[in-house]
Amino acid sequence: MPSRQGTVCVKYRWFVIMVFLFSCSVRGQAQENVPILSGGAGFFGAAQGGVHFYQPVLAPVLTVPLGAKWLVESRADLRGFISRENGTSGPYQGKFFGTLEYLQLDYLANSHVTITAGRFLTPFGIFNERLSAIWIGKFQDPPVIAAIGTGRGYSDGFMLRGPLVAKPGYQLNYAVYFSTLSTVNEFESQRGTGGRIGIFLPRTRLEVGASYRRTLQGDGENFQGIDLSWAPYAAPVEIKSEWAHSDGGHGYWIQASYRLSHLTGRDAGLGRLEPVIRMQQFFRSKPVPDDFLPTGNLQRPEFGLNYYLPHEIRLNGSYARQYFSNTTDSNVWEFGITYRFLFPLWPGGSK
Amino acid sequence: MTWRRPLLTTILCVLALSPFALSQKAQPKADDAQMRAQDAKKNAAEGERRFRTNCGRCHNPPEEISPREARAVVRQMRVRAMLSAEDEKLILQYLVP
Repeated sequence: MPSRQGTVCVKYRWFVIMVFLFSCSVRGQAQENVPILSGGAGFFGAAQGGVHFYQPVLAPVLTVPLGAKWLVESRADLRGFISRENGTSGPYQGKFFGTLEYLQLDYLANSHVTITAGRFLTPFGIFNERLSAIWIGKFQDPPVIAAIGTGRGYSDGFMLRGPLVAKPGYQLNYAVYFSTLSTVNEFESQRGTGGRIGIFLPRTRLEVGASYRRTLQGDGENFQGIDLSWAPYAAPVEIKSEWAHSDGGHGYWIQASYRLSHLTGRDAGLGRLEPVIRMQQFFRSKPVPDDFLPTGNLQRPEFGLNYYLPHEIRLNGSYARQYFSNTTDSNVWEFGITYRFLFPLWPGGSK
Repeated sequence: MTWRRPLLTTILCVLALSPFALSQKAQPKADDAQMRAQDAKKNAAEGERRFRTNCGRCHNPPEEISPREARAVVRQMRVRAMLSAEDEKLILQYLVP
């Protein structure tokens, strides 16, 4: 018959083994699914028609993978707007805004379907979903037509998306969504439906997409868009363009960037420099309240320079000449610095 | 008592031969490991190609990324850039060799 001391030892032994196994499993799980905090921080300045203003921006992205098929992701935009009290005179004063741009739960159902619920970036064209992060966009300002089909930029509802066909020679991708009406302060969204379909040719890195949105409230406005993106392998060139149409007007932007990496390599001297040009036009057809678009016709050629410093820091400066039918033409000078960050949310080794 | 001696002899024989048996088995394992390493290298190269094809057309690759961060980043990119499950797996093998 085992002694009491022996029974206690056996009990403790099992306890120690269980604790060891549990800690191993938690450790394994932790290495599989570590939440991360990434995003960008920046400081931007601009001068237009004698008015100077500055914007400190923090845009953190929280990514939490759960198990093998789930993902929670969220991005906020915390931005200050600092300018003189009377535009060109008076003391500087600042206002600060916070926007929850997306907070979504994704379920990776299979290789072709991801189901998303919550607040998400409206899939219309390429700018809103792919290029709106402050450390990605080549210019500080979004395109003038960015609000066509996206409004504030986000929708509250659910979405299906993924690659419909993924062959070595071509890929067909899609995103369809339904957004509900929300009038909750800071969580406003419009009732609407729409989507985007794109064909991507991996061998040439050329993608063409078409987008559609219909607002299911008010007058039921329709929006259409076409986008093009080309990044040839042969040269460090990127060409991107969008055309979009709404009841209030239509317009386009086309942008080309060229990284001078062939001169000294990507990571030295001039190889870190990237000239960018963008041309955009908007044609107003009728006034539509709260459509976030210019009130008249607008043309805006722009030239910019980006310089990629080590440690994910980028400097940028640009000049634009804005021709606007409702006011006098103006020069727009902009400069900025952005920092891209990425780190795990809980401590651990680099592995 | 008579059965103890043959049993002991058998056990000793088994123990004595076991290194040879193990070394015989280790050979296929070494081949397997070599093949797995080759596959991993091939997959990582394919993952790099898919990374350049899909991710590199919108933004620069991160200067450094630890294996702990890579899983969340690649899963997020699967949703955002509409990558297939195979793309996700191969890109992850490239980022976390």
